[in-house]
Amino acid sequence: MEVSVMEDILGGNDKIAAENAQIFKNNNIFALNIIGSPGAGKTTLLEKTIGKLKKSLNMAIIEGDLFTSKDADRIASHEIPVIQINTSGGCHLDAAMVQKVLPQLNLAELDLVIIENVGNLVCPAEFNIGEDSKAAVLSITEGDDKPLKYPLIFKEAAVSILNKVDILPFTNFDMASAKNDITCLHPGIEIIETSCQQESGIDEWCKWLENAVKSKQNG
Amino acid sequence: MCSTCGCSTHGQGTQIQFFVTGYDADNAKAVEKQLLGLPGVLHVHIHTHDGETTINYNPSKTRLSELTAVFEQKGLQAAI
Repeated sequence: MEVSVMEDILGGNDKIAAENAQIFKNNNIFALNIIGSPGAGKTTLLEKTIGKLKKSLNMAIIEGDLFTSKDADRIASHEIPVIQINTSGGCHLDAAMVQKVLPQLNLAELDLVIIENVGNLVCPAEFNIGEDSKAAVLSITEGDDKPLKYPLIFKEAAVSILNKVDILPFTNFDMASAKNDITCLHPGIEIIETSCQQESGIDEWCKWLENAVKSKQNG
Repeated sequence: MCSTCGCSTHGQGTQIQFFVTGYDADNAKAVEKQLLGLPGVLHVHIHTHDGETTINYNPSKTRLSELTAVFEQKGLQAAI
């Protein structure tokens, strides 16, 4: 017995995502969709990333939030192009939202666009926005049980960042268990441990990004 | 996936239940790990004692035959 596949109801989004992907391709840009819960440390990780890479890569950030420009304000202080998308309560970014703001960026001059999705481990994983890769950020404070509870994002992500490892000694987070679950869900996924406070793992993460950009630009 | 907020019904996928004979603690763990590693398989729950095996998956990413192949590779018999 084979299960029949229903029509892809996200087809409309996927069509616009494909257009976005073509825009990124035409401009030789690697686009990363960064996804994680509220408070996982996505914006802080981006700040550290900008600090390390802004001299070697031309980058821009698109910030997704329900409300406010707090994250974009933080990124703007690092003097790189940033656009805030407010979803007005929406739980994820979709491809149309991203397409609408792309003309505000000088795409021809960029190597890397990082799109920080709305803080949410569930819905953003379902909506392609034209990115080359997704990155899943999981912080130690969220617990080692989250990969199996929220499997889709770990299935979809090319890389998983285990963030805030500096507070491991003060929690019961089982690193081996979390890594085992993530690799069970997605054999071959890259896993990087980071602490933005102690700046550990940031070099490894930035190296991954640089390689991804190079790989895209070399076709 | 997210039917509660209404943003999508796309990712809810399919739930299928098998009754598998021949499980022991070790091969049940191995089956769970191998199934979870298949594209689109989001959740696997195995009752070792009675063989009840529930799988949530996206049939557009993994075919049913690929699920049953995992049981066959381990020398287990699975019935729907």
